[in-house]
Amino acid sequence: MESILAAHETLSSKANLSKALQDVDALISLLQNARDNIESDPDTTPLHIAKLKTPLKQSFDKIDDDLKEVNKGLNQYQKALKDKFKASALPTASIGSNASDGAATGLDSQRSLVERAIAMHLLREGKFDVASTFVKEVSAQAAGQDDPPRWLEDFADQEGGEDENMDEDEDGELDEELYGELGRGHLQRKFAEMYHILDALRNQHNLTLAIEWARNHSAELEDRGSNLEYELSRLKFVELYTSSPDDANTALLNALDYARATFPTFNSRYARETAALVTTLAYSTQLADSPYSPLFNNPSLWTSTSQLFTREFTSLLNLPSTSPLRTAITAGGLALPILQKVERIMSTSRGQWTSVNELPVETPLPANFMFHSIFVCPVSKEQGTDLNPPMMLPCGHVIAKESLEGTSRGKSRVKCPYCPIESKPGEARRVYI
Amino acid sequence: MTEVTLSKLDTDSHLILDQPLLRLPHELLRKNLKSAQRQIEVSHKAIDSSLDPVKPSSRPADTLAALDATLAKAQTLKRKLEALHEEERNLHRQQKARIAHLQDLHDVQSVGDVKFDDWSEVRLDRLLVDYLLRQGYTSSARALASAKNVEDLVDISVFEESSRVEAALRGGDVKEALAWCGENKQALKKISSNLELELRLQQFIALRRTGEMGKLTEALVHARKHLGGGQDLEFGLKAGGLLAHPPDTMVEPYATIYSSTRSDYLATLFLQTHHTLFLLPSQPLLHTALSAGLSALKTPTCHSLHNPNRGRSHLSSSIATLTGSPLCPICSTELNELARGVPYAHHTKSFVEEDLVVLPNDRVFGRERLRALCEKLGVPLGKIRDPTEGLRGTEWGEGELRKVYIS
Repeated sequence: MESILAAHETLSSKANLSKALQDVDALISLLQNARDNIESDPDTTPLHIAKLKTPLKQSFDKIDDDLKEVNKGLNQYQKALKDKFKASALPTASIGSNASDGAATGLDSQRSLVERAIAMHLLREGKFDVASTFVKEVSAQAAGQDDPPRWLEDFADQEGGEDENMDEDEDGELDEELYGELGRGHLQRKFAEMYHILDALRNQHNLTLAIEWARNHSAELEDRGSNLEYELSRLKFVELYTSSPDDANTALLNALDYARATFPTFNSRYARETAALVTTLAYSTQLADSPYSPLFNNPSLWTSTSQLFTREFTSLLNLPSTSPLRTAITAGGLALPILQKVERIMSTSRGQWTSVNELPVETPLPANFMFHSIFVCPVSKEQGTDLNPPMMLPCGHVIAKESLEGTSRGKSRVKCPYCPIESKPGEARRVYI
Repeated sequence: MTEVTLSKLDTDSHLILDQPLLRLPHELLRKNLKSAQRQIEVSHKAIDSSLDPVKPSSRPADTLAALDATLAKAQTLKRKLEALHEEERNLHRQQKARIAHLQDLHDVQSVGDVKFDDWSEVRLDRLLVDYLLRQGYTSSARALASAKNVEDLVDISVFEESSRVEAALRGGDVKEALAWCGENKQALKKISSNLELELRLQQFIALRRTGEMGKLTEALVHARKHLGGGQDLEFGLKAGGLLAHPPDTMVEPYATIYSSTRSDYLATLFLQTHHTLFLLPSQPLLHTALSAGLSALKTPTCHSLHNPNRGRSHLSSSIATLTGSPLCPICSTELNELARGVPYAHHTKSFVEEDLVVLPNDRVFGRERLRALCEKLGVPLGKIRDPTEGLRGTEWGEGELRKVYIS
């Protein structure tokens, strides 16, 4: 990287057209001088013209030299680039798609799905303007086609778009089926709401909207075992408590009132926590030294509550809290170097990987990129699938169905590969991991 | 899978997608320099020739007039160079921003670093803008680039130009493409592209198609001038063949050449040539990264019929299931369909929680997680319920749990 940077410095400070420009200026003044002299004293014309020839040639030689220096700088930069990126070939997307299908398939053929993912990504990132520009452009491009992408209908065009959609009344029934009672633009409205609340929460430290939302969705949140409602109330309590340092008594009373009104609803699950909060009122004069100080002096509280809110909000929409597209691209960045190496090795050895459904190598990802439990059969080293599911033997050990069938072929009893216990093949039980 | 390989980030190999990022401004700088050279060459000749007739014996008035003309030419040169210098400065600024962006990654120590997340976000924005530009969604690309402040990291103007030419070609207009070929003549020669010949042939076809006598003569002249030369015999022969076959011919290859699909062919050829010339990958990098990412994340569970989260869309009004783990991006509506065709990740070891138990309905859970989830659901002590079934699930006694061993 350093050599690239150094080469860039040379380019921007020295090896650029500024010198050539200076020399062109010099050339112009040379000509101008000659002209002025001739005009003021026409008799000297032959002299000045004769004097002009050589400097003129020199000027152009100089300009040529200036350009040569730029060229030299560029070559240096190119060399630095070459050293940095030794492998000049870019990885192709073909490794991701099934190798047997060739490179032409893959994501190219699924443009509409990719674009739907992008549109949803823009929404969940809160880039509503960009999203609506995008939806408009996609619609405009699709206008000439017989089969416009279905997903477009899930995004509301604030102005005008609705009318266009209205024309397609014939498949209104289908829409009903696909989009239920929620209607078009549902997702967009939802995310707009989320960012509205988040903005209040994160930037203005205003809890009102978030608390209202949590109360309206109390039952669903409860069903998920979410702490959001409690966390918000706690934050509100702390806010009231510390709101006016000048008038500590009023603040205390407000907090107490709030606690009386709100905390009983949390009694079943948060009795201990609410009790602790109310007890802090007794320490009001020396909170900082009290055992409760972490409850009050926690600068990351707003951020973490905002994150919790985002997570709960997206969960109720059945969506992951980080954009899947972002997760996938980051994972792709981590996996690509390995895949590229495999591709290179396979192209030199003319090998082919045999299992079409599975990548040929491990592409390790950090733990926060692991979303499912993974079962690898200890016998066959294959992953459990719907066709070859994990089977639990009566002893509690689990092997893949095909492995079980392999070991039990022709026998009435099968011995567990891990312990001495024997059982009938039929006693094995399919488990869902 | 070891922790060591994960925590350390191998920056150089991580940057394999980012070569074009630095290459493109460099190629543009080269092109810029070439333009400057051409300008200077042209002006040099012009200035020499305008001073040529001036002899020491010339009349002063003539000399002055010649000098004025020369001065004007020098001024033009200056203006042109200034414009090129301005462009050069822009490119240098982009270059600097890009180097800094890649340098940022070198400062990231591990994948768990917050800085890595930030960097990844910028990369995603870059890749998205690149994708939008390639698909011709220029306004969206502009909007996103400015919303995310990555204008110097993306090549809007380059793609804008190529989309314009591409659109013109699809509409049957080859003028812009020919102009582009003229600008990049040397470079095109170097990669021995026959784009220009194809475009000239297209002009010939347009003339031939009319069938009028005058136009046919014109076509003949055109073919002699542009297609006959020593470059590639094939084009001259094709032109000859086209003269012999009327536009409604069934004879191949002429029927194909006359057909309207040729404009699409030319547009694709132009894009290919353009991308090769500027060392741009032929596929959007988003595709490359996305398909690798989908595979790396995908597990057999993601499309399993027994996955409690699969196929749930945000539109179904049912309540989210509770598994206590974050929702998998591949299972979510956004990517589920897209990931269907890609292979799943390779694993050599099981990845499961500790202390596994199996419920009477055959679902396996970590004991601790199951306990915590049941508590959240308010299941009475000593009882358990499958949390994926929510509040309406069957309740069993804790004694019905069985230990299960997965190695």
